[in-house]
Amino acid sequence: MRNTKIKSILAIALSIILVFALAGCGNSGEPNGSNDQIDGNGGSKQINLMTWGGDFIPREIISQFEEKTGIKVNYKEVTSNEDMQSLLEANPDQYDLAVVTDYMVDILRQNGSLEKLDKSKLSNFSNINPVYQGNYYDENNEYSIPYAVSISFLLVNPEAVAALGADPITSYKDLWQEELKDKIVLIDWSVEIMGLVLKSLGYEYNETDPVKVAEAKEKLFELRDNIVRFETNTPEDSLINGEAVAGFMYSNQAVKGQAADEKLEPVFPEEGMPIYIDSFVMSHKAPNRDHAYEFLNFIMEPEISARISVITNFASTNSAAEEYLPEDFKNNPMLNLPDEVVENTSFYINVAEVTEEYDHIYTEFKMR
Amino acid sequence: MLKTKKIKQNAPVVPVLIWIGFLVGVPLIYVLALSFLSRDHLGNVVLEFTLDNYKRVVDPVYLKVFYSSFLLAALTGLITLLIGYPVAYFTANLESKKRSLAIILIILPFWISSLLRTYGWIILLGNTGLINNMLLKLNIIQQPLNMMYHFGTVLVGTTYMLIPFMIIAVFNSVGKLDRSLLEASYDLGASKWKTFFNITLPLTVPGIAGGFTLVFIPSLGMYFISDLLGGGMTIFLGNVINTQATRGRNKPLAAAFSVGMIVLVLIVLFIYSRVIRDKKEGLFL
Repeated sequence: MRNTKIKSILAIALSIILVFALAGCGNSGEPNGSNDQIDGNGGSKQINLMTWGGDFIPREIISQFEEKTGIKVNYKEVTSNEDMQSLLEANPDQYDLAVVTDYMVDILRQNGSLEKLDKSKLSNFSNINPVYQGNYYDENNEYSIPYAVSISFLLVNPEAVAALGADPITSYKDLWQEELKDKIVLIDWSVEIMGLVLKSLGYEYNETDPVKVAEAKEKLFELRDNIVRFETNTPEDSLINGEAVAGFMYSNQAVKGQAADEKLEPVFPEEGMPIYIDSFVMSHKAPNRDHAYEFLNFIMEPEISARISVITNFASTNSAAEEYLPEDFKNNPMLNLPDEVVENTSFYINVAEVTEEYDHIYTEFKMR
Repeated sequence: MLKTKKIKQNAPVVPVLIWIGFLVGVPLIYVLALSFLSRDHLGNVVLEFTLDNYKRVVDPVYLKVFYSSFLLAALTGLITLLIGYPVAYFTANLESKKRSLAIILIILPFWISSLLRTYGWIILLGNTGLINNMLLKLNIIQQPLNMMYHFGTVLVGTTYMLIPFMIIAVFNSVGKLDRSLLEASYDLGASKWKTFFNITLPLTVPGIAGGFTLVFIPSLGMYFISDLLGGGMTIFLGNVINTQATRGRNKPLAAAFSVGMIVLVLIVLFIYSRVIRDKKEGLFL
């Protein structure tokens, strides 16, 4: 009797553990509003929005919109562009808007999953900086509205680099110095890292020429000893706690790193940098179109856009927002990207064949 | 007459079997089918039969990933056994009130998110972590010890995460021990150690095998531990599958790796069934 009691306690406890263990691996959950609230063509005052977690579209801004218009925003957090694609393409009538990265706009539009935006309903579109328009993934600005811009570059602790006896870091090439053993942190993604190596050799991103790729592979393997860790979400932590002296990371992470430790300095490598433009897109079966347009217009208002940039640490795509940006934002080259830096950037195209080959090289590199 | 009675008796099981068959069978068939399909240049799955995914899986580079995952899972099983067995043994021999308390204490930390507990290890082991800070303050070391981002760090993480499964499995097994056998052994003059190795250990083999299986299988898939504690310096099966299913946009390849992982698990389950074949108890009894 006693035995069975203990056993049933155990069984319950074990199942709870399992549930927690599984929950830990899963996604961040359901959309904030459940699907049963959606009733066809915008009958209810709400929109369903899907994008990155964190405060990517700040809650503060969303509440402001909800108060102003009475339209409820259901914000679903997703952890990858590919997850957004799966969700959007499996249930196109359950989502109105998504914010995806450049290459995913290209994939989604080629798959016919996107709605052509009606510019006559987007009076504020004229605020968007032309520099961020007309890119390869949407040549005629039919499907996407640029929302947040980031680039990747090096964040460096010059004092610590000097203390190791290494030359100052001004380009990717300098990362290969012997003195930097176990002192570099990198974003953990094959396409990014192969891109970095290709650039250091003077080649372009998305290179497919087998000779050049083989050369890059060899060069990549030589970098192994200098890497202390790969980290995609918080690489700046490694520079703050001193385990690394240089890191290749996204601009918003570098901004956070410098805010935590002012010794850290951005280095825009002369060889060139990747740029990412996260853009709003609309599902081709969006149930609440009119409300979605209202939301897009709201986001593109100069004051709102400026506030978003300040909260998220992403460069603003909104020319009209500039006058509302605080001075320290405007003077920060990581946030208000200088023209010569933007000119020296290019996109990862992220086509399947390239990714497959790069992944293979990257796996071999890590298994050494 | 007898037959209908039997059918009536078994009737309540049928919905459960259908339910399990649906939830386990359908995804399994989906994964299996997916692993033989191709994808286009955009990463969309297309209905075109191919064996290329399996060619990739048996590529020497990816076989190395299988090996490192197997090594991690096997070592995790071994270490959880070495630590978990004594804990389970003593817990099972406690008087009942203390025993319940001990079990609750073992399980309690696992009510917290596993991700959060993994971050806890970073706070403990990091360069500016608790251990390093303490040792530096006590002047025992001059430079912080590099404890993060190794295979061993990942092993610490998986061991910590999965040890309750081992403890519970062994605990159950020890609890079922026939005490009179132990008494007989003592009566016949055997020492404590001799009794343990000749009676207790062989009789708890089903628990050990069950615990090992319960630990081995999930440790193949805990990619977030190798990302956080291993610093992404080594790749395990879970990482490859995760990458290919998301950013790599190659779901068929991810499916082929999953099938490979399932084969690995089946081998372990087969060994398990061999080990407990002649015993009257097991994980599923």
